[in-house]
Amino acid sequence: MAPRSFQARLLLLMVGVLVLLQVATLLAVHLAGQRSLRRTLRDELRVGARVFDSTLSARGRQLSDTVRVLAADFAFREAVASGDRPTITSVLNNHGSRIAADAVFLIGLDGSVAADTLADSRFVDRPFPLPALVDRAREKGEAAGVVALDALDHRPYQFVVVPVLAPEPIAWVCIGFTIDERVLDGVRDLTALDVSLVASPPDGRPLLISALPRDKRAELLERLREQSRTAESLQLGGETYETLLEPLETADGSRVQMLLQRSLEQASGPLRQLELRILALSSAALLVAIVAASFFARGVTSPLRRLAEAARRIGRGDYATPVGVTQGDEIGQLAAAFDGMRAGISQREEQIRFQATHDALTGLPNRVLFLDRLAVEIAQARRRGSLVGLAVMDLDRFKEINDTLGHSFGDDLLVEVGRRLGQTIRASDTVARLGGDEFAVMFEVADARGALDVAARVGRALEAPLTLGGVSIDVNASLGIALCPLHADDAGTLMKRADVAMYQAKRQHGAVAVYEPGRDEHSLRRLAILSELRQAVAGDQLELHFQPQVALAGGRVRRAEALVRWRHPRYGLMSPDEFVTLAEQSGNVGLITRWVLQQAVAACDEWQRAGLDLAVAVNLSALDLHDPELPAFVVGLLQQRSLPPARLVLEITESAAMKDPAHAQTTLGELKARGLALAIDDYGTGQSSLAQLKRLRVDELKIDKSFVTHLGGGASEDALIVRSTIELGHNLGLEVVAEGVEDAAAWERLERFGCDLAQGYFVSRPLPEPQFREWLETSSWGQGRGAPSGDQRSAGERASGAGGNA
Amino acid sequence: MRVVASLVLWAGLPALAPAASLVVEVRDAHGEPLSEAVVYAVPEGRKAPPPSRPAVLDQKNRTFVPHVLPVQTGTAVTFPNSDNVRHQVYSFSPAKRFQLPLYQGTPAAPVVFDKPGVVALGCNIHDRMSAYVVVVDTPHFALTEAGRAELAGLPEGRYAVRVWYEGQRRELEAQPATLTAGERRELTFQAGR
Repeated sequence: MAPRSFQARLLLLMVGVLVLLQVATLLAVHLAGQRSLRRTLRDELRVGARVFDSTLSARGRQLSDTVRVLAADFAFREAVASGDRPTITSVLNNHGSRIAADAVFLIGLDGSVAADTLADSRFVDRPFPLPALVDRAREKGEAAGVVALDALDHRPYQFVVVPVLAPEPIAWVCIGFTIDERVLDGVRDLTALDVSLVASPPDGRPLLISALPRDKRAELLERLREQSRTAESLQLGGETYETLLEPLETADGSRVQMLLQRSLEQASGPLRQLELRILALSSAALLVAIVAASFFARGVTSPLRRLAEAARRIGRGDYATPVGVTQGDEIGQLAAAFDGMRAGISQREEQIRFQATHDALTGLPNRVLFLDRLAVEIAQARRRGSLVGLAVMDLDRFKEINDTLGHSFGDDLLVEVGRRLGQTIRASDTVARLGGDEFAVMFEVADARGALDVAARVGRALEAPLTLGGVSIDVNASLGIALCPLHADDAGTLMKRADVAMYQAKRQHGAVAVYEPGRDEHSLRRLAILSELRQAVAGDQLELHFQPQVALAGGRVRRAEALVRWRHPRYGLMSPDEFVTLAEQSGNVGLITRWVLQQAVAACDEWQRAGLDLAVAVNLSALDLHDPELPAFVVGLLQQRSLPPARLVLEITESAAMKDPAHAQTTLGELKARGLALAIDDYGTGQSSLAQLKRLRVDELKIDKSFVTHLGGGASEDALIVRSTIELGHNLGLEVVAEGVEDAAAWERLERFGCDLAQGYFVSRPLPEPQFREWLETSSWGQGRGAPSGDQRSAGERASGAGGNA
Repeated sequence: MRVVASLVLWAGLPALAPAASLVVEVRDAHGEPLSEAVVYAVPEGRKAPPPSRPAVLDQKNRTFVPHVLPVQTGTAVTFPNSDNVRHQVYSFSPAKRFQLPLYQGTPAAPVVFDKPGVVALGCNIHDRMSAYVVVVDTPHFALTEAGRAELAGLPEGRYAVRVWYEGQRRELEAQPATLTAGERRELTFQAGR
């Protein structure tokens, strides 16, 4: 499990390296120490051997002197000269004990033992066993040597031979001193080594004289038997002894070895102490290193943590707090970069926020911010018990100005208006541009009169002519005022109410109107639609959807009806039912019709280019029939695109046709004359007479969907009407189209009745152009092999559910 | 002539017949002349006359003088002490065991060496002092000088000629010599190796 935090890893690394180094050092010291210790020990042992040797030599000399003095003793000599063996033996004993001798021999000049101090006198009258020693004494006056006589007790002795002079040699006296533990103790005291002597008599039972503790002697003998060759280290009593075994020079050739030892454990005491000291030092160093490392790691990581904290703060959107890491190193640079980033983000966010909440042109708050502030203001005013006034303003004739003098002029105008409004209001008030030429002012007032005062001020601000680029222009505005809480309790409602008031002002051609309670939302919407329709046509808010019409015989798509939709910025997608009537009322329907015609012809042209044999149907309004220029416009469009006139079917509702039959007859006649196909829409709802129909010279009838929709359900009355209408149409030579076909049953009936074309959700709902093209390519209807089966509709179409056709 | 006269004088005999003489050369193991060796001729078949005069072994400068003193058996030897320190003269030799306790000057009684043999003498308080009194059964003896010694005035007859010197390992074999009157014989002794 590796530690996660950087600090822990850093710490681990530093401490790990240190520990490794120290272990290596300790190991090196230990190994070198051991090697050096061994070498030192071997040297010590060799020196010890020499010390042992010289100690024995010195003892030999000292003993010689002692013996010489003894042999010079007159009484001794006298006794020896007496020749009386008991006397001689007793003087040997007597004088031998004076010098603590262990064995005394008197050797005659002939080399045989004359007397000795041994209990059994085993050597007497026999040749002295060490003639070489006597010979040397004869040559040098004295002789000393180490012996381990088998005939004695195998123990190592130092023998000293000197002549008995009277004054010429009359005999040899040989005195033996055992080399005992005391001698070895002396050597041990000198050398600090454990010293032993090993005598190995021919009978193979080594004899050990040792200064070692008693319990170790037996073990040592055991080891020596096991390792007859000189082993350099021996195990004794759980301790390792560095050992040197060296032969001792003996006078009689017997095998005596000196054994020098030093306990490795004892010898390595100082070394171990040194190692312990190093270990202690290492541990202390390690401790210091850990502390230092953690300090260092903290020094590195705590600014990092602060940086991380700062990053989290920035993430939370707190740009105010500085990072707070100031140091000269790389982390400091990182912190500085961080701070720079923080400032940059803060600045850019400020910019984005400003852009999101302000109008790019005038720099005034936009609708979003304004509504926000309005809500805040309302809440505050509620607490204070004061009124919040809202004035919504719309410049009169702005579109005209825009169209005439250019967009750039229009923009300048808006900027200037914004500037003037800004100068007019108090600091606590807010001016916003809601969009287009619509401005709003929010202010705090005591009562409605105060609100009118504000309105008057605004009016005065715009009174002076605006001079822009050398062009002087009068600007008039319509101002709608609503007050909270008199007219509404929340910002949204207050806004709508002020809007309503503004439309009121516009309608009354007055400059200012205060909201009158009772004017509802609908009227507001109607007013809004009315005022915005022209803008919708120009501002690209209209869309064209297409619904296919399929031949019941063969199932081929023959044409598509173009249906207009208004994607209103505030109210969303609106169907023509809602706005066409209003357009008719406001006299704007011609604009819409022309736009639709243009788009439909363009789409048809594209289909043709794509190799699709499709006609397009467009609805005309009753008012369009009053437009004398319409036929020429239509023909112009077709010619532009080089489309045959039969590609365009113009539909007119039955009610429209019947409303002003004369005009209808003229216009339709003209269209008919130019080769266009005509259809009566919504047939069955307008109580038209056959004669009238005949006069209108239409080419087809579209049975109203109210008859068709329930056809599948088995309503016999509807079926009767549909059937008879089809028959009627056919009898008049007209094609019959059934609208609102929503299921297979209806389709089958219509097919049976001999209806020509079907349109409805059973085939497809109205689709925007790209989807419509896609539908044509993918749907079986589009392939021209549509079969009237129940599962013909795609899942998407089914899901969209039943709904009235456009 | 002087030697002959002295021999005659020592023997105390009227020397009517002309005497014989022996010249003895003694060499050590390396063939070098050996000094201070005692050369003596023991007459065979007749008795030697008793010693006529005493001998003296002086002690001067902590040294016996002479170092080797040949005497005829029965000779009385005095041990005067000419040093200002005392000496204790002793001998453990079988031929004559005696000791003279620490003394100064001349002891009252001389020591009579009544057995033939080599008597090693020492001083008990001066280990370095040593001397030999070589007691022989004949009045005919002499010390070699530069390896030679002459025994003059020897009566006609058979002799066993012997040599003793300090430090000899074993006795050199005696050389028989039958001397006629006026004869001058030369003998050589070679010390064994």
